Amino acid sequence: MYELLAAGLVNIAQVKYLLPLFFGTLAGVVGGALPGVTITMTIIVVLPFTFGLDPLQGLAAMTGVYVGGSAGGLVTAVLLGIPGTPAAIATVFDGHPMAKKGEPGRAIWLGVWASFFGGLLGGVFLIGATAPLAAIALQFGPWEFFSLFILAVSMVAGLTEASLLKGLIAGGLGLIVTVLGSDPVMGQERLTLGIDFVKGGIDFLPVLIGVFAFAQIMGEIERSGGKAQLAGSLERGVKLTVSHAKVIWEILSRPFQLLWFAFVGVLIGVLPAIGASAASMMAYDQAKKISRRPEKFGSGIPEGIIASESSNNANVGGSLVTIMAFGIPGDSVTAVMLGALTIHGIQSGPLFISQNPQLAYGIFAAYLLAHPIMVLILALGARWMLRIVTLPKAALFPVVLVLCVIGAYALNNTMANVYVLLVFGVLGYLMVKFGFPLAPFILGVILGDQIEINLVRSIMTDSNPWLFITRPISGGLLLASVLSVLFALWQHRRMQKKTAAADGDADF
Amino acid sequence: MKLSRDGWAGLVVLAASLVLSGLTLELKANPLVPIGPGFYPRIVLGVTALLAALLVVTDWYAAKKAGPKVPADYAAVVVQFAVFGIYVAALPWLGFRIATFAYVAVTNALMDPPRGARQWTRAATIALASALATYFVFEHYLSVLLPRGRWTDF
Repeated sequence: MYELLAAGLVNIAQVKYLLPLFFGTLAGVVGGALPGVTITMTIIVVLPFTFGLDPLQGLAAMTGVYVGGSAGGLVTAVLLGIPGTPAAIATVFDGHPMAKKGEPGRAIWLGVWASFFGGLLGGVFLIGATAPLAAIALQFGPWEFFSLFILAVSMVAGLTEASLLKGLIAGGLGLIVTVLGSDPVMGQERLTLGIDFVKGGIDFLPVLIGVFAFAQIMGEIERSGGKAQLAGSLERGVKLTVSHAKVIWEILSRPFQLLWFAFVGVLIGVLPAIGASAASMMAYDQAKKISRRPEKFGSGIPEGIIASESSNNANVGGSLVTIMAFGIPGDSVTAVMLGALTIHGIQSGPLFISQNPQLAYGIFAAYLLAHPIMVLILALGARWMLRIVTLPKAALFPVVLVLCVIGAYALNNTMANVYVLLVFGVLGYLMVKFGFPLAPFILGVILGDQIEINLVRSIMTDSNPWLFITRPISGGLLLASVLSVLFALWQHRRMQKKTAAADGDADF
Repeated sequence: MKLSRDGWAGLVVLAASLVLSGLTLELKANPLVPIGPGFYPRIVLGVTALLAALLVVTDWYAAKKAGPKVPADYAAVVVQFAVFGIYVAALPWLGFRIATFAYVAVTNALMDPPRGARQWTRAATIALASALATYFVFEHYLSVLLPRGRWTDF
């Protein structure tokens, strides 16, 4: 393993890989810093640029976006009180007050170095856990894979904040998209609805790009008409110089807290579709609970910033594990990375690491190197980030949508995928408006074919349906999916009761 | 009792699932895979229809509560979707460069209407730069052939 990792690091240090990694990280940091532009949107924008690159170059760029984006959100969170990404929401709580108290440099660099250390701890987990988990998954037959994918969809549906029923319906809608066009087992045409471009089936990337890009951009337009700018609240003369040794010591003098926050981030990252925002909020909550001075949280103390930033970067490592070991995207960013792998004809899943060790360890190396690059970019450009956030959205949004069109078109040089992009753009926006979560929908679209293939394979191997339950791993996974739905049901009920009680109190 | 938007959404999903389920009945079994191409879609559509029906029923019996009204510019969203739709439709006819220039210019102008010659020039420059820069980068460096116009051959 160590030899492969060392070889990966040497490989990625070549200029041809280092450049895409650098530009990817830069794009991530900038995208992360722009309020209203998420890491998903940034990675969607970067995707078409990777088509002409070799797989490792493309994935290095995307890994850079992911790492850079997870840290980029903290600049605006600290200096403006506006989180660049949802993952930086918890950073605002203490980062912004600290900046307002006259220590913006300390606040920014606590965040940057906490991201760095948290990300590296996530990397240790990523490198250490992927191969053993993939080895376990290699023992799986079609029954186990079917049950594992069902567990992923049900967990995502249950863990979303919307109602459980809507989450499950969204997952069902995603699965429906995969039954249109052609049957993945025999390639037989089915349910084409008389539409030519549906005949070969629907590629998941234009669906993903359409759903996420439009849901977000149209949501912004709906709120601000695209005129929103932050220029008014900027302080141009802000000083960010700080003693790095002092800041690093502030973080490393809390080793157990740092480890715990990174663990929370990794754990949330491994669970599909919960996301870095939940990781940073949970870590912040944990930090408050274990602190000797919980009353100080929110007033600008370092623990709050360290908790939020270390966990949201460690989260990246966790998300990458599930995609590399099981082929299940942990979130929308890794879903796009999965698409990039597919474009290059590489199958993700348990065989990925054994069949493509150079690529897998190249990704690990890119992940590790992206962290110092991210620190370097923020060291040189944190001040410039403040200027970038003044970019008018009226200029930014159409360019992003043009890049989405190129991303969809370039998949196989046909307009069909652009039509799919438009159709699913409208659907994505409507889903958000009607309160249906997008994550289970996308996971349904990504896993639908695999669920069908494994279901048919298992029935063709042995028609006894009880095998899904009597095979221990498969049965365990199905039981876990039932439990995850029941847990979600219980949690939603509890939330409803709490809300009702709060409403009742408010009446008096 | 009246349906809220959850109920209506459920009805739409239910209707779509039932229509598609009906269409699966026309699918013929394959001799190599006896369970046939309609087996899995029927399960997925059946489960989704059931969940959608459940959403309609729960919404029907749920106590309706008006949430806080959030101001939203839906007209701007409809216009943006329409402009994007026109852009997509125009791409094969006008070609990437012309259609993209027009799309970026129009969208920019609609979102932030230019006042005076300077702002018009800025909007046109952004549109021209985006169309040409994306074309140049993708065609020349990334080997992505972007659509040529049937009418313009450009």
